[in-house]
Parts: sequence; structure tokens; C-alpha cells
Amino acid sequence: MKTPRSGPSSNQKDETAFQGIWSGTISFSLVAIPVQLVSAVRTGRVSFRMLHGKDYSPLAREMSCPEEEKIVPPDEIVRGYEIGPDKYIVITDKELESLSPERSRTIEIIEFIDMKEVDLIYYDYPYYLVPSKGGEKAYRLLVEVLRRTNKAGLAKFVLRDREYLVAVKSMEGALALITLHYSEEILPHEDIAPKKEEIEPEEKSRMQKTIKKMIADFDPEKYADERRKRILDLLKKKAKEKAPVEAPEIEEEGEGPADLVAALEESMRKMKRNR
Amino acid sequence: MAGRTIWKGNIHFGDVNVPVKLHTAVKEERIQFHLLHRRDHVKLRQQMVCTYEKKPVPMEEQAKGFELDEGKYIIVDSSELEQTAPESSRTIEVHEFVKTEQIDPVFRERVYYLEPDSSLRGYNSLAGALKEMDVEGICTWTMRKRSYLGALQISGKILRLSTLRYADEVISVKSLELQKAPLSEKELEIGNYLIKRLTGPFQPHKFEDEHQKKLQTLIEKKSRGEKIAVLRPRLLKPTASDKLLQVLEASLKKVA
Repeated sequence: MKTPRSGPSSNQKDETAFQGIWSGTISFSLVAIPVQLVSAVRTGRVSFRMLHGKDYSPLAREMSCPEEEKIVPPDEIVRGYEIGPDKYIVITDKELESLSPERSRTIEIIEFIDMKEVDLIYYDYPYYLVPSKGGEKAYRLLVEVLRRTNKAGLAKFVLRDREYLVAVKSMEGALALITLHYSEEILPHEDIAPKKEEIEPEEKSRMQKTIKKMIADFDPEKYADERRKRILDLLKKKAKEKAPVEAPEIEEEGEGPADLVAALEESMRKMKRNR
Repeated sequence: MAGRTIWKGNIHFGDVNVPVKLHTAVKEERIQFHLLHRRDHVKLRQQMVCTYEKKPVPMEEQAKGFELDEGKYIIVDSSELEQTAPESSRTIEVHEFVKTEQIDPVFRERVYYLEPDSSLRGYNSLAGALKEMDVEGICTWTMRKRSYLGALQISGKILRLSTLRYADEVISVKSLELQKAPLSEKELEIGNYLIKRLTGPFQPHKFEDEHQKKLQTLIEKKSRGEKIAVLRPRLLKPTASDKLLQVLEASLKKVA
């Protein structure tokens, strides 16, 4: 079996499914399970690359210094908190990491709850936990007991520069981890809720009749993103009408001027493009 | 106070029409950082750089390409993309009603509050009907040139829209290729007992982002020039498979 791992080198095909974002342990009581965190969702939006209109080379997002008009390499970039105009306090990765040392590598389940008590307004982002080597059995145990008891584990853990409150639940034989919003992030709604509460019983029962006729099982497969379909149709149409453009090959750094073969290939590409 | 009105529309199904206004329901506030040049602490700016020429490319020279094959693109300009935008509409069309428990949390994206617009027409009746029947209305609408899938539902007195992900946006558990591992009845029994013992009510007010508070303190300390001790993250030793029962039994003693 394939072990899901982070990084693009592991398994190109499943790269989207196995974007290991974090690795550490999840614990309940004295049991500690080595796991990796992977996203449970991916965007269905059609993704485009930003290109240079002149030669169709891909563009890269870089940070540049406005004073020197130069690109700044990653090792020269630091994180700063603004305390006054153009005055910053620099915070290093190590300092950030050591803010919550007990939570940056461990998801410690502090209690279990009934998932039904968690209003969906708290749901933030879904992930899966997958067991790392040696953790398969304890992982399976936690999945199974959460399923049997219909409970979810509540924990806090730090991912990047944020501390999350998370619910860990069993889902089709896996552990799903949902990050939750803090209650202070939930906006009150008293000001926009209906002021009067009277219900017209006739109107209500008329609506219920209509609703009853429209009851079905939830089947998300039935719905597709219209916008996405249209973009794909546009792309198909364009691909038929015109050959795709090609980006020039990028030479490795330190390699002198392009050799003859490369130059020939380049001009052939240009011919193709003009066809 | 609820967030500002971001859109207005009509909930529609059968002969029902309920005018509503959408409001955001969640607001996140976090400490913001800037990226600086290590040498002189000058604030850096993001730029799009040509990977071939290694030079910044101004906006007017940037193009959008769909990668058909490695290094091969279909160029699409913004007016073409604009044309793919769905027709604007003011209708939240409900297609069917489903039981809440059928919608797994992984499908849920975000929640909007629905305020009755101009009149209370139908609003309270619809709220009452949904509450009694414990169902949510699967609906679609167009907002900000995007088509949305969502679930219309009731919470207390207020109607809400919970946006849903499309089916192919949820990564299947199957693709994780999880291994089966045999468990003994004893292990399961103790596991069940532990969970029941450690179960309590969900009290969201008990929790806050302590990390952000600590970060605030760190910033204050550093601005006073205090020295910061760097701590290593705590690592837990994983429970070995053959020790699982033993560890469970020890846990049992701990909660007893």
C-alpha cells in the first residue's frame, strides 16, 4: 500500500489527495497515534496559470524590495509586526513555534462530545487524519469506538500560526478533523432576526405540503457547478480552434548560452505557434 | 451585530416566495504580519516575475493560461471568462428537501444569516415548517458571478443558508487507502468505556485562541527588548501496536 506523504515527490497522481499538511500525534487518554493531516476537500474551480503575454512563460509570485527593485530570495525574508509607521517587530519561526510547544505537534483530545451539539456555524475546514507507520491499529481503534459511541473528540492544536479548536469524528472508516470557529468569531444575529414571531398556521401547513412532496435523499452528485461547466466548454472550443501556445523551456541556472539543438527546438516551437 | 447585507434575493419553491437579505455570520480576526527584507526591515511587495526572463511583468503584459499539457497553454482573456459568468438572478431556488443528518459536515462550507427583506411575508411560516419537519432545502443561486449550492435551514428564529461543496470537491475516504487492523473485543470495550467517561457537553465559550494572546504578549516583550526563550515542541511517543491493550488498561485506571 502507498503511504501518503507530504511533498510533491511521493506520488504525483494522488498529489491532490495527499497534501500532507502536518504530521504529529493524536492522543486520547494515554494512547498516542502517529498521524498526518491531509485536506478532505479540493477546489473544483478551473485553475489558470498566470503567464507572460509576450512569450507564454509562467509567472512566479516573488517578493521584491521596492527600494532596490530587486527580487528578494526567501532566506532574506522575515516576518514583522507593525508597531508604528515603518516600525516593525520581527518574529521568527522558532519563536512562533515555541508559543505553544505542547500543541504544535500533538492533537490532544481533552474530551468527547456529541457532534449533534455542534451547530454547523462552527464548522470551518475539513481534513482527514491518516495513520503514519505503526499507528494503524490504534487509529483503527479510535475510528471504531467513535463510530460505535457516535461521539467526536474535542482538541486544540496549532497549525502554522493559528491555534485551532477541532472536532475529530469517524467518517466511513477514517478520522475526519473539522476545525471549528471560536464562539467569539460568530456574529450575533439578534439585530436581524424577525421581530414578530407570529406564524400563520394555514400558510405554514400549505408550505409543509409542498415540502413533503419535495423530500428526497441528499445526493450531492446531482448538482454541478454551472460556471465550471461553461469555462470547460469555452476551453474545449478554443482547443479545437487553435493549437495551444507553448512556453520556452527554461535552462538550468549556470548553464551557458543555449545550445544549437535547444535553439532549433525553440524556433520550431515558434513555427508551431504561428501556424 | 450581524455582518452587513451582502446580497438580496427570493427563496423560491412551488408557489412559495420569501424575500431575504444575506448577512455574513462569522468574522475572523487575527494578528497580521508583513513580510520584510531581513537586512533593512523594508516592507516587501509581491510581484509577478517571468520565470524565463527573471524580470517582473507589469499587469498589462500578464495573460491567463489553462495548462493543457506540460508547458502548453490555452490563453483565455478576461472578456471571454466574463461571458461564462452565470446570468444574474435574484432567486434562491430550492430543488428538494433533505434530512439534516444526511449532509456530512465535510460538505459544509460557510453559513449566512437570512434577514426577512422589507416584510415578514412567509418568513416565519417557512421557518416554522422547516423546524417541525427537521429538514433543509437544497438550493442553488447566483451571487457575485458565481453559482452556489447550499442548504436552507432554520436555527432558532433565523433562517440560514449553509453553502455546500460540490460532490467532486470532497476527497473520498477510499482514496486514502487505509489499512484494516484487527482489534480485540477487550480493546474495543475499554475504548468505548473511556470515551463515555470522558464525554461532556459541547461548550464553545470555554475556548479561545490562546495562541493569539501569547503572540500578543510575545510582541510586547520583544518591543520592550526582552529576551525570548525558545522552546522545543513536545513530541508524544506513539503507542506500539502490541502495547495497545496495556496502555488502554492503564488509561482505565487513570479515569477510575
